[in-house]
Amino acid sequence: MSELERLRHAMRATERPDPVLDLDTVMREGRRLRTRRRVAGAGAATLATGLAAVVAVVVVGASGPGDPAPTEHPPPVAVAPPSVAASPWAEESPASTPPPTVGRDEPPPKPLGQIVDSGVRHGAERRVYYLVRVSVPGVPKVSIGLAAGRQASDGSLSTDILVNDVEGSDRRAGFHQIGYDERSAAAPVPTFGYFVGPAKRIIGTVDGRQVDARVVRWSVDKQVAIFWFDPAQLTPGERLDGIIARDASGGRL
Amino acid sequence: MARGDADFVEFARAASARLVHAAFLMTGDHHQAEDAAQTALVRTYASWSRIHDDDAYGYARRTLVNHLVDGWRRPMREYPTDEVPEQRRGDVADDVATRRWLITILGALSPRERAIVVLRYYFDLPEAQVARELSVSVGTVKSTSSRALEKLRSAPRTADEEARR
Repeated sequence: MSELERLRHAMRATERPDPVLDLDTVMREGRRLRTRRRVAGAGAATLATGLAAVVAVVVVGASGPGDPAPTEHPPPVAVAPPSVAASPWAEESPASTPPPTVGRDEPPPKPLGQIVDSGVRHGAERRVYYLVRVSVPGVPKVSIGLAAGRQASDGSLSTDILVNDVEGSDRRAGFHQIGYDERSAAAPVPTFGYFVGPAKRIIGTVDGRQVDARVVRWSVDKQVAIFWFDPAQLTPGERLDGIIARDASGGRL
Repeated sequence: MARGDADFVEFARAASARLVHAAFLMTGDHHQAEDAAQTALVRTYASWSRIHDDDAYGYARRTLVNHLVDGWRRPMREYPTDEVPEQRRGDVADDVATRRWLITILGALSPRERAIVVLRYYFDLPEAQVARELSVSVGTVKSTSSRALEKLRSAPRTADEEARR
């Protein structure tokens, strides 16, 4: 018997007949998760990480372009529409979940401009990035956020993570919030963000090695460069040690 | 119970043993494996109306593997050699030795290598499908499989042999 045959045999021979799984709990938690997806799909995003002091709910253009509904203080990084959320066992009960600010029947965040296909596939779904309208109370120059989502074969979108500025201007030259996988989705989210300026290359540094990001210009404003890192080169969730942008002549921006 | 719920219960009962065992192969820990399988089933149930007519088992498997690969950054630590599971067949000592050998050699692999080995040789998925499910290239699956098998060839054939090393 070869090693491979032995391995196959061993993997099957050690199966246990009847694992004890509590299906009542599975279904209860599944219903809870389903409810949260509906809430999130309607535009409410819950705070996940980032700058800790900021709490709340952000409305992601659910009211349509031009009419964002302001809410409380927004998070700079939100695990938005956690269409397939993280470990449900660690999550709080529905009663402690921030209340949705929009109705469940309202549509999910509407992308502004063209959706960017990253080329990454999760089964039948495509990993995509897109800008959405956000409203940040007291910060009138922030009106867009960058979302990482998945697009199904029927074209429907599920947003996993949304990042947006919480101060200044969303068109300030330079890097803005960077989104990292938060283990909140069934499929890992490749690290992503946007840069404002004539960036030709975006280069991240991690553990002493340099990793080039893919860069695509936003269809609505060509100064906005959407970027993401190939998950084969930068493990989703792994923090960058540094990031720089270079223009067409190789100069650092 | 709604028809959809009854379908899910039937599905979960049929699929849970393989899901738990696959998670065990990837983690080496029965409790962690059961938690991971339960998480995968929760997510599967949450999407049930969308997937139950399609490939529910594939969805649950992908969710399980990605959950473990994504969330797992440490090497396999536990080697449950003194735990004697309920047995369906064969000699208990042989089965315990097989389990010990299996966990030892899988423990020598990285999380990604383990995921590829489990998808390729436990679920018997073709390389292209493994690549899709892990969001990596087919070339990565080939090279990682090759490295993993090379490690298996150099691993001790028995736990006793390992002990003598």
